Amino acid sequence: MRTSFLRILILALIIASLGVLSIYSSTYQKEGTAWQDIHKRQMLWVIIGLVCFFIMSQVSYRRLWDINYFIYGAAIFFLFLVFALGIIRLGAQRWLRFAWFNFQPSEFAKLAVIIFLARYFSRKSADDISLLSGKFGIFKGIILPFIFVAVPMFLIIEQPDLGSGLMLLLVFVFLLYLTNVRLKYILILMFILMLPLPFFWHFLRDYQKQRLLVFLNPNIDPLGAGYTVIQSRIAIGSGGLFGKGWLSGTQSQLFFLPESHTDFIFATFSEQWGLLGSSLLLIMYYLIIRQGFIIAQRTQDSFGRLLAYGISLLLALQVFINIAMNMGLAPVVGLPLPLMSYGGSSVLVTFIALGILVNIDRTRSVF
Amino acid sequence: MLRKHILSFLIILMFGALFAGLLSLDLFQGAKYRRLSDSNCIRLIAQSGARGNILDRNGAIIVDNKISYDVSILPQELGQLDRILSGVSRILGIEAKELKSAFRRNYFSSSIPVTVASNIDLEKAILLGEYKTEEPSIIVQPRPLRHYPYGSLASHVIGYVNEIDRWRLTKLEDYGYKTKDIVGFGGIEEKYDYYLRQEEGGLSVEVNHRGKFMRVLGFDPPRNGKDIRLTLDLNLQKIAEEALSGRKGSIVLMDPQSGQILALASYPNFNPAVFVNKRTRLIAGLFNNPDSPLINRAISSSYPPASVFKLVTASAGLELKKINLSTSFLCRGSTMVGARKFSCWDTHGEQDIVSAMAHSCDIFFYKTGLLLGAQNIHDYALKLGLGRVVGLELPYETSGFIPSPLWRKINKFQKWFDGDTANLSIGQGDCLVSPLQAVNMMAVFANGGYLPSPYIVKSVGVLDLSAKKKKFPRVDFKRSTFETILRGLRLVVSDPRGTGNVLNGLDVKVAGKTGTAQVSRGATHAWFVGFFPYDNPKYVICVLLENGGPGHVATVVARQVIEAMDKQGLI
Repeated sequence: MRTSFLRILILALIIASLGVLSIYSSTYQKEGTAWQDIHKRQMLWVIIGLVCFFIMSQVSYRRLWDINYFIYGAAIFFLFLVFALGIIRLGAQRWLRFAWFNFQPSEFAKLAVIIFLARYFSRKSADDISLLSGKFGIFKGIILPFIFVAVPMFLIIEQPDLGSGLMLLLVFVFLLYLTNVRLKYILILMFILMLPLPFFWHFLRDYQKQRLLVFLNPNIDPLGAGYTVIQSRIAIGSGGLFGKGWLSGTQSQLFFLPESHTDFIFATFSEQWGLLGSSLLLIMYYLIIRQGFIIAQRTQDSFGRLLAYGISLLLALQVFINIAMNMGLAPVVGLPLPLMSYGGSSVLVTFIALGILVNIDRTRSVF
Repeated sequence: MLRKHILSFLIILMFGALFAGLLSLDLFQGAKYRRLSDSNCIRLIAQSGARGNILDRNGAIIVDNKISYDVSILPQELGQLDRILSGVSRILGIEAKELKSAFRRNYFSSSIPVTVASNIDLEKAILLGEYKTEEPSIIVQPRPLRHYPYGSLASHVIGYVNEIDRWRLTKLEDYGYKTKDIVGFGGIEEKYDYYLRQEEGGLSVEVNHRGKFMRVLGFDPPRNGKDIRLTLDLNLQKIAEEALSGRKGSIVLMDPQSGQILALASYPNFNPAVFVNKRTRLIAGLFNNPDSPLINRAISSSYPPASVFKLVTASAGLELKKINLSTSFLCRGSTMVGARKFSCWDTHGEQDIVSAMAHSCDIFFYKTGLLLGAQNIHDYALKLGLGRVVGLELPYETSGFIPSPLWRKINKFQKWFDGDTANLSIGQGDCLVSPLQAVNMMAVFANGGYLPSPYIVKSVGVLDLSAKKKKFPRVDFKRSTFETILRGLRLVVSDPRGTGNVLNGLDVKVAGKTGTAQVSRGATHAWFVGFFPYDNPKYVICVLLENGGPGHVATVVARQVIEAMDKQGLI
């Protein structure tokens, strides 16, 4: 199906371009060439991402079945490597330094876990459309896959990156739901997960506790932990119907809004383009995700279907949580806005995931 | 498969929630966040214009403004601030620590520039202006301050400026006055504050998240207050104040034809500059001084008019035909009114109306007064403008007081005796007149029968007020009454035994009336109220010396004034 390929490509390209524009607007006035060239780096990542997108759309996704243990193993390996060699930025140890860029293994791990889970719940044969999970008991159906998810999740949360870690858990629960595991088991799992929640409070770092408290009431610490949310809400709200115009956003361009080119890029965008632009952006994200769901629904092969669902869900959840956090509707967790936020790993992984998605749709017709 | 539909629905729900959030932020709370966003990055730097100048009748400056410079800094990050302050301290020669404590003291909110040093001279202001190119967060603001080139000259007419007090603020809030505004107190500064007042303008600038200046967004130029031109003549004012030279009292000079006040001196006076410089000790001294230097004695104080009041008794007697030119009374130094002995200050012998005025014979006026009755005297005093405010444009004018039998009955439940009538007819007793009222009364005789409404403001801005003055009401005395009284007033000076004979040797013919007011405590008040030149009156003068001795003293002071005026060719 060429239409899904083109649709996803065009939508992703538009969103990525808007991202580059927003990154430029929020950094071009900063001092130092490193800051001023940041949009060029993002453009480069988008181009590399596009190349990966084309490659992945050509390589059959069935290959992923074969190498999925390798992918999973590599993800775990990189996450361990982060602990040993990772560089510390913004108080967190999330990045691995490569030749000229920083690699964020947690982004890669998200995709790896989805591939792993899709493989785990499906049969090798593409002709057999039934799912394994129907035959699974509670151990094989829930506990074992949970352990496989919990290892990278724990490693990511310890970086600390609560957002990405919980993202894995969320995707896991949704996939479980889709694999027809009995609802009772899922509820039991959720219950077990909820049970020690009060104890988790003590394991949270101080800044994470603060963020949660601030989410409940940003005004308890307006210049500290609550500052970002307040400024972000001001940025979005002050955009009004039509926005302040590109390069005229005072919140982001005068640096009142921290992280305006990464996690809070939606606020940057919304301030400049207003309700109109933000709604269009939401629609574009929705269209991509819907396309992913459509692809998943018309794929007979259970591995491909779960993979397509997983990728769409990953995208949807990240978009939702990030934008909700920009608007102060969710606590601040370090999650990028896919395709828009500055960050090579995120852009690359998202394009690869979209490439896989397109490929699932293309390969499907072969059978 | 139901689950995938539930999931799709969930996704739609999620995006719906995001859209709802957007709507709420952008549309329903958009204005609020717009305002917050503006207050984040927009700073207003107020710039005040200059208060209007006060000029004399010829346009010479009595009060103007001199520019002083204030240094303010946009609040910003601490490290940045320290650097800027140390730079400023290097230029100003003030220690950085001091500047920092000034910053902390004056800090109000992060959105308002903080003044760290004021009254910087021009040279340093220019240096700072150059430094501003490096550190644009420094604001050097010109601030016009009241400047009094003649010090305390005409201080009572002008008044002073100071920070607005609570009482005035509650009254004036609706007219755009704010706390810490500088407003006028007393005199023209108070009465015409609304016109003199400058309008504030200012810059709006954009700052970044560290409070650092980014660019200028807009400029609203401040507007200066309107200039006010007075009818005062600076030279006459100087002469009057010099003549008063340290004696408690006041001198008023007025043009009897137009009612323009040409000089209005009162002593003790004050230097309004102490309020500008905030010399707290000196200000407290002004308020605590028992001689009340802040009171304008020419208009706000009233005194027993004594013999000056004889003008009223004389005109009432002549008008009501109780006396005429041939009426004469014998002065033996004293007379009995009822059971009490009323004495004259001298023994004058046979006196008619003209000579009685010249010699200020009390006996003649006791008898005239008793013929008239107290109510008639009271009525004629009011006809001549006494007992009510004259209506000069200065605040705190007193109405003086003329007693009457009716007033006494109503307010004091006491009877009026003939002795009271006798006292009233020579201007003693409860009778009180301000120097301005005395001048106004004398002007009626000087200008041939018109009661002027004196004024002191000639124009406000470009608006000429003197052109809008109404014609003065006529005081409908008979021609012969005026002529008789004028003869008497002239004889006061020209007669060798006249009480104002000191004024006789001058080149200019003067007429007038002296007065020696007895007070319950201390020396008598000395009055001289007169006009000159006699044939073509151009000036009415009133000299009052509080506890200054006999009327003769005031006459001597009047002579000094007239001599000085003559010397400068002002007559």
